[in-house]
Amino acid sequence: MTSATFPASEPQPSWTRYFSFNTDAKVIGIQYIVVSFFFFLIGGLLAMIIRGELITPEADLVDRTVYNGIYTMHGTIMLFLFIFPVLNGLNNLLIPTMIGAPDMAFPRLNAVAFWLVPIFGGLLIASFFVPGGPAYSGWWSYPPVSIQNPLGHLVSGQGLWLTAVALSGVSSIMGAVNFVTTIIRMRAPGMGLFRMPVFCWTALAAQSLQLIGLPALTGGAVMLLFDLVAGTSFYRPEGGGDPVLYQHFFWFYSHPAVYVIILPVFGVFSELFPVYSRKPLFGYVYVALASFIIVGLGLVVWVHHMFPSGVAQWMRNLFMVTTMLIAVPTGVKVFAWLGTLWRGKLRLTTPMLFCLGGLFNFVFAGITGIMLATVPVDIHVSNTYFVVGHFHYVIYGAAVMGVFAAIYHWFPKFIGRMPYEGLGKLHFLLTFVGANLNFLPMHPLGLMGMPRRVSSYDPEFAFWNVMASLGAFLLGVSIIPFLLNMVSSWVRGPKATHNPWNAIGLEWLLPSPPPEDNFGEHVPTVISRPYGYGTGEPLVENQEAIERALTLQEARA
Amino acid sequence: MTSSPPRLRALPLIGVTLWVGLLVLASVWMSRQAYRWLPVQASTAAPLVDGLFSFETGVGTFVFLGVISVMVWVVLMHRADKYDETDAEPIEGNTRLEVVWTAIPLVLVMAIAAYAIRVNTSLGVLGPMEHIHLHNSVEAQGGYPGDRLPAEGIEVIARQWSWEFRYPDAGVSSTELHLAVDQPVTFRLVSEDVIHGFYIPAFRLKQDVIPGTAINFNLTPTREGRYRLRDSQFSGTWFAANQADVVVESRDAHSAWLKQAAAQPLQPGLNVAAAEYAVRSKKSKAGWATVPPAPPPQVNVPGSDRLLHDA
Amino acid sequence: MTTALPSSPQGHGHAHGEAEHENHSLTGFIIFLCSESVIFLAFFSGFALLKTSAINWLPAGVEGLEWRMPLLNTVVLVSSSGTIWLAEILKARGSLWGFRVLWLLTMALGAYFLYGQAVEWSGLSFGFTSGVFGGTFYLLTGFHGLHVATGVLLMTLMLIKSFIPGNYDRGEQGVQATSLFWHFVDVIWIILFVLIYVWQRH
Ligand code: HEA
Ligand code: HEA
Ligand code: CUA
Ligand SMILES: [Cu+2]
Repeated sequence: MTSATFPASEPQPSWTRYFSFNTDAKVIGIQYIVVSFFFFLIGGLLAMIIRGELITPEADLVDRTVYNGIYTMHGTIMLFLFIFPVLNGLNNLLIPTMIGAPDMAFPRLNAVAFWLVPIFGGLLIASFFVPGGPAYSGWWSYPPVSIQNPLGHLVSGQGLWLTAVALSGVSSIMGAVNFVTTIIRMRAPGMGLFRMPVFCWTALAAQSLQLIGLPALTGGAVMLLFDLVAGTSFYRPEGGGDPVLYQHFFWFYSHPAVYVIILPVFGVFSELFPVYSRKPLFGYVYVALASFIIVGLGLVVWVHHMFPSGVAQWMRNLFMVTTMLIAVPTGVKVFAWLGTLWRGKLRLTTPMLFCLGGLFNFVFAGITGIMLATVPVDIHVSNTYFVVGHFHYVIYGAAVMGVFAAIYHWFPKFIGRMPYEGLGKLHFLLTFVGANLNFLPMHPLGLMGMPRRVSSYDPEFAFWNVMASLGAFLLGVSIIPFLLNMVSSWVRGPKATHNPWNAIGLEWLLPSPPPEDNFGEHVPTVISRPYGYGTGEPLVENQEAIERALTLQEARA
Repeated sequence: MTSSPPRLRALPLIGVTLWVGLLVLASVWMSRQAYRWLPVQASTAAPLVDGLFSFETGVGTFVFLGVISVMVWVVLMHRADKYDETDAEPIEGNTRLEVVWTAIPLVLVMAIAAYAIRVNTSLGVLGPMEHIHLHNSVEAQGGYPGDRLPAEGIEVIARQWSWEFRYPDAGVSSTELHLAVDQPVTFRLVSEDVIHGFYIPAFRLKQDVIPGTAINFNLTPTREGRYRLRDSQFSGTWFAANQADVVVESRDAHSAWLKQAAAQPLQPGLNVAAAEYAVRSKKSKAGWATVPPAPPPQVNVPGSDRLLHDA
Repeated sequence: MTTALPSSPQGHGHAHGEAEHENHSLTGFIIFLCSESVIFLAFFSGFALLKTSAINWLPAGVEGLEWRMPLLNTVVLVSSSGTIWLAEILKARGSLWGFRVLWLLTMALGAYFLYGQAVEWSGLSFGFTSGVFGGTFYLLTGFHGLHVATGVLLMTLMLIKSFIPGNYDRGEQGVQATSLFWHFVDVIWIILFVLIYVWQRH
C-alpha cells in the first residue's frame, strides 16, 4: 500500500451543481439539507400561526377550518419534508465518507430519491391552493374524517396529501435500499462491522426500519386513497369496512418512524461525545447492538398509539410491556454517553452544547414516553397536550438539536469553512430556553385534560398556553442566528483544515471539502476500532503519511 | 499505584450515598406534587390512575435527576483547560457496569409495568375498561352480564358535532350528561358519522367512539360537581367545540332531575357548531371547506355551556 | 454476507458517479424485494382481519368464488417458475438459445396467467366498490396482477438484451434479478390463492 497522495487542490466546482441532477452523494446531501430547512421554515411559520391562535382561548385568529388545515400541514411538513430529508442529507454526507466509499452504491437512484422531495413537497404545498383547502384530518389522516371530502371533487387537499405521502414513501424506500446496500457492501478494507462508526450502525438500523415499516403505510394509504376517490369501503363502516384497521397500518409504520428519526441522532451523539470529551465511546459494542434491539422492539409496540381505540385488555398489557422494554436498550446508550463524558476533557463547543442539551431533553421526553406507555395513564392523557409535549421534547428538543449539532460539527468538513462560535452559542441558548419554555407547559395542560388539535379551549387552560406561545415565539427568533451563521460562514467563514476538531474517523482523513470521489483509488485500510481517543493507536495504515500529505496540501493552498 | 488512605477513598462513596439520598427525597416530594397537576378525582378510576402516575413521577424524577446530575457534574468538573489539547484517559468500557445499568432500568420498568397491569385489572373489575368488545358480542348488542348489572344504562350518541345522552328507562334525552354519585353506570357509545372520543378528565377515562360498532363502557362517579366532557378524537371542523357538561348529583337530585326532564318538551339541544355554522355561511370568504354540522338533536334538556365547571 | 472482510476493496479503479455497480445491484434488489413483501403482508393481514370481523362478508347475491379456473391459473404460474429456473440452468451451461426458448415460454405462461385473470374478472358479478369483499378481492388480485405484468415486461427486456453482444460480460444480474422477482410473484400468488379461493368459508 502506497501512501496516499492527493491531487493539488482541484478547481472549485461551480455552485450551480446544487441545482442540477448531480449524482455525487456530497452534493445530494447538501441539497437535502438545504431543501429540508426551506420546508422547516414553512412548517415553523405554520407553528407560529398555531401558537398565535392558541395564545387566547377563543378561535379568533383564523377560521376553525384553517386551523385544522394548518396543524395538519405543520405535522406533515415537519415530518415528511423536514426531519426525514434532513436526516437523509446527513446519511448522504456521512455514510460514504465514514466508510471510505467513493459514493453511494446507486448514485443515480440516489439523485432520483432526492429530486422526488421537491416534487412531492411542491404537491403538498400546492394543496393549500386547491378549492376547499389542504388536508385537515391531522398527520394521521384517520378515516372516516379523512374520506369525508366535503366538496366532493376528485382533486382535494386530502387526495394531494395522500399522493405526496405515497411519493415520500417511494423516495424513502429508494434511499433505504441505497444506504443499506452501501453500508453492507462498500466499507473500506479492514472495516468489519464492529469497526464501523456508530452513526453507520444507527443509519443501518433506521433504514432497516424504513424498509420494513414503510410498505405497510403505503398499503394502508393506497386503500385510503381508493376509499376517498373510488368509492371503495375498506375503512367505511357502511360498506362493512373497519376504520380501526387503518390505524394499525398507520402506526405499524409511524411508530417505527420515530425511531427512524431518533436513531441517527443517537449516532450523532455517539460520534460527538467522544470527540469533545477526548475519550473513546464507552461500551462501543453495546451501543452499536442496542440500535438493533431498538429496531426489534420498535416493530412490536405500535398499539400504544391506539389504547383508547378499544383494543382488548391482553393486547393493551402486551404492548405496554414491549413499549417499556425500549427504555432498556435506550438506557444502555444514555449511560454509555455518560460513561464517555465521565472524567473526560470536555470542550463546550457549539456542537457539544447541542448534544448536551439534546440529551437533557431526550431523557425528559423518554420518561414522559414511559408514562404514556402505561395504559391507565395513557388513557387519561392520550390525545391531549401531554402527548404533544412528549413528542416535541423528543423531536425538537432531542432530534432537531442533534441535527444542529451534526451540522455545526460537519460543516467545516463538507463546506470547507468554519461556522462562527459566537452565533452558534447564541443559537443554542435561544433554542434550549425556547424549546423548554414552549414544550414544558404542554405537560400540565395535558394532565389537566386539554385535548390536542383544538382551535379553542376552556379558559382554565389559558395561562400555560400563553407560556407555550411565548416559548414558541422565542424559538422562532432562535432560528435567525442559525441562518445568519450558515449563510455568512458559507460565504466568507475562515477556511477549515482537514480536521479542525482533532477528531478520529475516515472522513477526517479527507481534505475539506472532500474531492468528488472521496478517497478514490486510495482507500486507506482500517486497522483499529473507531474512537481511539487517548489510545495513541492509529485508525488506518499509514495514517501519519496521509495526515502529512493533507497538512502539506493545506499549507500550499 | 499507591493506595490512598481509607478515609479519603470513602469520601466519594459517602458523597454519592448522600446525593442519592437527596435524589430519593426529591423524587418522593415530586411524586406527592404529581397529584396537584391533575384535575379533581371524581370517579372510582381516578385514585387508581393518579396513584400510578404519582409512582411514575417519582421513578421518573429519580432517573432524570440522576442522569442530569452526572451531566452537570462533568460539565462543571471535567472541562478541559483552555490550552489543554491532550486526550483523556482512554476507558473503553466496563462489562460489570454495563450489566448494572441494563439491569436497573429493566427492574424499574418492570416494576412500573407490574403496577400498571394491576391498575388495569382493578379498573377492569370496577368496570371502565373491561367490557369493550367489538363485533357481535353479547355486550355489543346491548346485553350485560346479569350479576353486575349497573343501576342505569345510558346511550351516548356522538355526532359532528354534538353529544346526545339518552336515558331509555326514564324516556329522557339531553345534551347535558347527568349522573348519580356513587352509582355505577353503563354507557353504550355509538357514533353516527366519524370516530369521536368520549373523554371526561375528572374521571380519568377515555374511550373512542367508533362508527359501526357499539361499545359498552362502565364507570362510577364518586364526587358531586360539574365537569367537562370533551371530544378526544379529532372529528373535523368543530372538534374543539364538541364538548358537554357532566353533572354528578346526589341520588335524590338525580331522580328528581330525570322526572322533571321527562316532563319537558323536546327542543333543539346545545350545539355550538350549528350556531357558528349559521354565522359562517353568511360570510363570503369564510375559510376552507367543511362538512356541515348534523342538525341539533331534539332533547328534553339542552343544558348550557356557560356555567362554571370543576374540571 | 461476510462481517470481517470488506467486500469492495478490489476493483475500485473505475470512474465513480456514473456507472452503477453491477455487483451491488442484486443486493439492492433483494433488499427491495424484502421490503416489497411487507406491502403484500399488509394487504393479506388486512384481508384476514376484515374477513374475520365482517358481519356480512359476501355482497348480496354472491355465493362465493369459482375456484377451478383460478386453480388452472395457479398451475400455470407455478410451472412458469420451473421454466424460468430451467432457463437459468441452460444459460449457465452456455446454451444461449435454450435459455431464450425457455425464457420465452415463461413469458407465455405469465401472459396466459394474465389472460386468465382478465377472463375471470370480466365474468364476476361484483365490482371494486361492492363492499369490503369486492374491494379486497380486486385490490389483492389487481396488485398481484400488476406484478405479473411487470415481470413479463422485465423478461421482455432481458430477452431483447440477450441479443446484445457482450451483454453478459459484466455478469448476468438482470437475468438473476428478474428470475428472483418471478419466483417472488409466484410465492405471493400461492398465498393469495389460499387466502382468497381456498379459505372461502366465513
Ligand atoms: C423521535 C421521536 C420519538 C421517540 C424517540 C419516542 C420515544 C418514546 N415514545 Fe413517543 N411519540 C413520538 C415520538 C417519539 N417517541 C411521537 C411523534 C408521538 C405522537 C404521534 C402523534 O400522536 O401525533 C409519540 C407518542 C407516544 C405514545 C402515544 C401516546 C398517545 O398518543 O396516547 C407513547 C405511548 O406509549 C409513546 C411512548 C414512547 C416511549 C416509551 C419512548 C421510548 O423510546 C423512550 C425511551 C427513553 C427513555 C426511557 C429515556 C432514557 C432511558 C434511561 C435513562 C434509562 C432509565 C429509564 C427508566 C427506568 C424509565 N410515545
Ligand atoms: C419534526 C417535527 C416537528 C417540529 C420540528 C415541530 C416544531 C414545532 N411545533 Fe409541532 N407538531 C409536529 C411535529 C413537529 N413540530 C407534529 C407531527 C404534530 C402533530 C400534528 C397533528 O396533530 O396531526 C405537531 C403539532 C403541533 C402542535 C399541536 C397542534 C394541535 O394539536 O392543535 C403545536 C402547538 O403548539 C405545535 C407547535 C410547534 C412549535 C411551536 C414548533 C417550533 O419548534 C417551531 C419552531 C419554528 C421555527 C424555529 C421556524 C420559525 C419560522 C419563522 C419565524 C418564519 C420564517 C418563515 C419564512 C421566511 C417562510 N406542533
Ligand atoms: Cu463500490 Cu466501487
Ligand atoms: Cu410510538
